Amino acid sequence: MSYAHPEYLVDTEWVAKHLTDPTVRMIESDEDPLLYPMGHIQGAVQVDWFSTLQHPVRRDFVTKEQFAEMCSKLGIGNDTTVVFYGDKSNWFACYALWLFQYYGHQNVKIMNGGRIKWEQEKRPLVRETPSYAKTTYSAKDADKSIRAFRDEVLTHSNARKPLVDVRSPKEFTGEMLHMPNYPQEGATRGGHIPGAVSIPWSQAVNEADATFKPTEELVALYEGKNIKADGDVIAYCRIGERSSLTWFVLKYLLGYPKVKNYDGSWTEWGNLVDAPIEK
Amino acid sequence: MPLPTKLQEIVDDFAGMSREEKIETLIGYAESLPPLPERFKEQRAKMEPIPECMTPVFLFGEKQEDGGVIFHFDIPPQSPTVQGLACILATGLNGCKAEEILSVPADFFAPMNLEEAISGQRLNGFRGVLAHMKQTAANLLNM
Repeated sequence: MSYAHPEYLVDTEWVAKHLTDPTVRMIESDEDPLLYPMGHIQGAVQVDWFSTLQHPVRRDFVTKEQFAEMCSKLGIGNDTTVVFYGDKSNWFACYALWLFQYYGHQNVKIMNGGRIKWEQEKRPLVRETPSYAKTTYSAKDADKSIRAFRDEVLTHSNARKPLVDVRSPKEFTGEMLHMPNYPQEGATRGGHIPGAVSIPWSQAVNEADATFKPTEELVALYEGKNIKADGDVIAYCRIGERSSLTWFVLKYLLGYPKVKNYDGSWTEWGNLVDAPIEK
Repeated sequence: MPLPTKLQEIVDDFAGMSREEKIETLIGYAESLPPLPERFKEQRAKMEPIPECMTPVFLFGEKQEDGGVIFHFDIPPQSPTVQGLACILATGLNGCKAEEILSVPADFFAPMNLEEAISGQRLNGFRGVLAHMKQTAANLLNM
């Protein structure tokens, strides 16, 4: 059984054959911002999930205009096929892809396995930063059908609609408030949103090479926890990056029509006055 | 108490650098973090890795005869930022007395303006590694 939308994935070999394809732009999006300057796929540009994609002042993403400006500077046109890859099993690659979809960019793909697989295959990395001629880019209005906000999440939780918590089991139970050594990213309360089921993001990827698991395993994983295609699903984690990966899996690999990422995630919910919490 | 001399020099160096120089210098530190000495490998194998998401940082401190503390790290190459920050701390603090290490303020790196080069969120790793080193130093104080 193949993925529902296999056109959203490419493998490392495909990328190796399209390094100089002018219709394709590779974007590296990592958790660790030094990886790109230390070596990246030839021709790839970097976006940083924080300094490039987040609004400089508010807790939000860049605006539609800022997004268009960013694409223009990276030499991305409205028709460019944008291929994302990154470290940590493509978390931040999925996060960047999700934001590109939010502003209406159509042709987006993930390089299956990300940096991990590329490096395992001993494929070349270069240090030269490419520069591309500026394009004229027009972003679309934000597509709110893929992004959940807190009030909607509360309604969703009260109605006991499907919610997926993709954090580690200890974060779900509230035993662990935040990642050790990352005190500033935490929340004042621990636990999970009432009604959420725990399906850690990592269960969707093969540990060995960071590629996505086959369809059958993914179906068993999510349907086994009652997260089904006919549902209206919201995924969340701590800041919305790991849940972007789960969002990608549900939306494009399994083809669920209604999936949203709640990017406020636990760092919003766990700090919200009066928000219901289960432990 | 002033910062240990070597650490102060590193802070001052960074303060005067452009964004590109900061990135290059951080990469230099990441690449020069020495591997964990063999003698710690057995102890390292018994330690619990920190679950998911987080860069697993393993750290060991040794007290020298003169009372100075030397730190050794094991940090995966997939996390060069954390390696670089740890190497800065090791370079700036190795050989210092436990009391000096404990006196380093948690926000000592503010004048380095590293936010220009690496996102603010990653700097929490800096605080985390320093806190970890202080804990190790405090344990050695009583030995």
